[in-house]
Amino acid sequence: MAIAVPKRRLFGRTKRPGAAREALVGYAFVFVPMAVFLLFFIYPIGYAVYISRFDWGILGPLESLGWKNYSHLWHDTLFRRAIKNTVEYTVWVVPAQMALGLLLAVVVNQRIRFRTFFRGAFYFPSLASSAAITAIALYLLNINGLFNKIFGLHQAWFYETKTALPAITALNAWTTSGTMMLFYLAALQAIPTDVYEAAAIDGAGPWRTFWKITFPLLKPAHFFVAVVSIIGAMKVFDQNYIVSRGTGGPAYATYSVVLYIYNTAIKDSALGLAAAAGVVLFLIIFLFTIVQWALFGRQEAA
Amino acid sequence: MAEPAAPPLAAIDELAAGEEVAIGAAGPAGIPGRARSERIQRVIAYTAMFALALVFFIPFLWSVSTSLKPLPETANFSLLPHTWTVAAYREAWTKYDFARYIMNSAIVSVAITFTSVFLAAIGGYAFARLRFPGRNVLFFVVLGTLMIPDQLRLVPIYRMLTIFPVTHWNLVDTYQGYWAIKMVSATALFLMRQYFLTIPRDLEEAAVLDGAGYFKTFWRVMLPLAGPALAAIAILEFQGTWNDFFWANLLLQSPTHWTMQVGLAQFFWSYGTLWNNLMAASVIALLPVVVIYLFFQRYFVAGVASAGVKG
Repeated sequence: MAIAVPKRRLFGRTKRPGAAREALVGYAFVFVPMAVFLLFFIYPIGYAVYISRFDWGILGPLESLGWKNYSHLWHDTLFRRAIKNTVEYTVWVVPAQMALGLLLAVVVNQRIRFRTFFRGAFYFPSLASSAAITAIALYLLNINGLFNKIFGLHQAWFYETKTALPAITALNAWTTSGTMMLFYLAALQAIPTDVYEAAAIDGAGPWRTFWKITFPLLKPAHFFVAVVSIIGAMKVFDQNYIVSRGTGGPAYATYSVVLYIYNTAIKDSALGLAAAAGVVLFLIIFLFTIVQWALFGRQEAA
Repeated sequence: MAEPAAPPLAAIDELAAGEEVAIGAAGPAGIPGRARSERIQRVIAYTAMFALALVFFIPFLWSVSTSLKPLPETANFSLLPHTWTVAAYREAWTKYDFARYIMNSAIVSVAITFTSVFLAAIGGYAFARLRFPGRNVLFFVVLGTLMIPDQLRLVPIYRMLTIFPVTHWNLVDTYQGYWAIKMVSATALFLMRQYFLTIPRDLEEAAVLDGAGYFKTFWRVMLPLAGPALAAIAILEFQGTWNDFFWANLLLQSPTHWTMQVGLAQFFWSYGTLWNNLMAASVIALLPVVVIYLFFQRYFVAGVASAGVKG
């Protein structure tokens, strides 16, 4: 049938009746959200870059420094330590989260009884606020705590330079594994069943089926979960802050990049330097976000 | 347009409903000799799974148990209290001011949840349905904000709230300032738009023909149809605000303004070894989110999983 449908044109002269009114209502509806996005999200990027080019104290800009804050960061041993800690944390926590998340997803994806119970149990730590879960971890891992009692150890896990960051790493791997489980579950459920049927006919056991079929088929999910968890790991702050009362101690063992930004801005009132550190962190995270969108944006939305 | 990678909602929905989804072939049935070894395997598998679940639960069970003990008893390791008491809760509630922190958390969480759900719904509706010049550019801006980490915003926002542009208000340590920076969520707006796009147009066209204005159509027709999406983002926003430590700790500085999470950290710093009180406070801090999870698991899982876009 050849019915001439007028082409929808937003800027054209052939206007639908009421188009102007519709546009006006549209602007009215998005006005408040857009104003807040511009004021508290978009504008702060530019403002952060602007601040980062000044020696900026508690009362305002003192002296224009150009890019000197950035070169100062490069030579700042504390910032380097923060980068080192954050990278070290990321390198350990990301594989741990992914492995644990995948394990849990495979477990609750089986045809088992009590699925809802197991899913709830594994997701439970992800529900908790960082403050509450850190308080519980501080209790469990204190020198007279349950963990030491069970394993016959005598270690103040959060207060010794060698174990403080690993303890936070273990804590966060545990608390985020539930969320990673959800991502993996969604991917597991998208795998068509006939693949497994074919494997079963070929006589492949569950172990072999997992490594030869499921694991490779999850490749997009591996990338997605990896990027999400890298971005999250770069921002680690709450646990380090609570455990060390903001000092990043013991002896800077838990000093993360975000803790550096926070302390530089709030405790030292060196807003320029803190803003520069924020911009550096943003660029690193931005890079990973671009990778994530480039790799998965289209295909997942489809 | 590069849209953030949301996990397929349908799959998560199915999952959240707790339906049995047949994954993996049900091995060839009726082969003699298999039954016994399979049963043994099954017993081993279930034992391992329950053990794993126990490992996940033990910290919480242990903290609940500790919260019901008198302080001297926290030094020994009996699984259950010898003397059951709610004294730790009573002290946390009155002596250590957690009643106030709970109130503060409830006020900001409810206010922020309402605002962000309303703004996400009305904005999502406009982006899904109304045609206006520049719509795609503006929507792209919304998605772009997802890439901006809070840690970059820390310094400029702190500065802006100290001396607000033009008006020179000092909004640090006020609920207004905290509310203002959290009152919209790009994730929520994005999810609402996606949901509205799935609703057939016939219904609102009927409403428009009946002479209903745009707002009335949105309010009376579209909003009631968006129930599941509204529930999912309301839960998401509530959990996000209730659990927030980063911004609350930065902005709500004076003890009368502390939220539950800030109060918890401060309590640990001041009275670190009053374990029974600390665990009681932690249990109180966890409770609202746990209750919501138990009652609205379906929406909860859908919301949290799609919020993964935030990273």
